[in-house]
Amino acid sequence: MNSDFENQLQRRPLRELPRQWRSEILAAARPASGPRPLAFVSRLSSWLWPYPRAWAGLAAAWVVIFVLHFTAPDEPRLAGNSSSMTIQSFATLQQQTLMMAQLLGQTDNAEPPAALPAAPKPRSERPMQQMIG
Amino acid sequence: MKEMAASPNIQRLYDDHAPALFGFLLNLLRNEADTRDAMQEVFVKLARRPALLEGARDERGFLLRLGHNLAIDLIRRRGARERNYEQLARESPALFAESANPDEQIFREKLAEALGELPADQRAVLHLKLWEKLTFDAIAQTLDIPPNTAASRYRYGLDKLRERLRPIYDEIK
Repeated sequence: MNSDFENQLQRRPLRELPRQWRSEILAAARPASGPRPLAFVSRLSSWLWPYPRAWAGLAAAWVVIFVLHFTAPDEPRLAGNSSSMTIQSFATLQQQTLMMAQLLGQTDNAEPPAALPAAPKPRSERPMQQMIG
Repeated sequence: MKEMAASPNIQRLYDDHAPALFGFLLNLLRNEADTRDAMQEVFVKLARRPALLEGARDERGFLLRLGHNLAIDLIRRRGARERNYEQLARESPALFAESANPDEQIFREKLAEALGELPADQRAVLHLKLWEKLTFDAIAQTLDIPPNTAASRYRYGLDKLRERLRPIYDEIK
C-alpha cells in the first residue's frame, strides 16, 4: 500500500508531450525501403563514439603513414641510380686498367677485364647441369 | 512526390503510448532534445521491424523497455562525449505540468530537481512505479532486472526523495 508521500507524488501530473512532435516523429517513421544515409551516419557515429581516442589515434597513425609515404625518397629510382653507378665505375676501372697496361708497355698482353657478371637467373632458368652437378 | 505517411499501426502506437514514453524518457534523459531523438528512434525502429511487436504481450511495457534501452545507450554516448552528464541531470527540465498555485509550482520544480539528483536506475524505477503505476514484477521485466532489485531501488530512491523534499512537503501538506 502506498504511503501518503507516494500518493502525493503520484498526484503531480507530468508535462504534456509537445504536439508538433507527432508529425515529425511519424514522418521519420514512415516505411523505408532501405537504411537512409542519415540513419547510417547516426549508426556509424553511435558506433564510433564510445572510443573517440582510439579512432583519433588510428586516424593519426594513417596520416603519419601517408606523410612518410609521400616524403620518403623513391626506392626504384635509387635502385636505378645504384645500378648505373656500378656500370659507370666498372667502365672507369676498365679504362684505368687499359691505361696502366699501356704505360707498362703490355698492350699486347693486357687482358681485358672480365665482363660484368650477369645477375643470377631465376632458379627455374638455371641450366639443369648446374642443378645436378 | 507525395511523402509516405507512417503506417496506421505506428500512428496508433504513437497515440496510445507516446505520452507515457515521453514522460519516462524525459525523466531519464533530463534533456528535451535527447528525449525527442530517443522517441523518434523507438518509432523508427518499430516502423522498420514491425515483427518486433509480434511477440510482445504488453505494448506499453515493450515500448518503455525499448525506450529505456535506447536512453541508456544515449546516456553512455553522452557520458563519453560530455563528462558532465550528472550536472545535466541536475539541470532538470520542466518534467511536470505547470501549476497556477505558486507553492505547488515550487514543489513540482523541487521534485523534478530531487529526481534529477537520483541515479538513473533509481529514477527509472520510481517513475515506472509512481507515474506508470507498474508493479515491481512489471518494472523488473521492463528494465530487465530482478524484482527484488526493482523494489530495493524504489525504496532507496523514495527515501532520498522524502529526505530531500521533507521541508517543503511538510509545508504544502
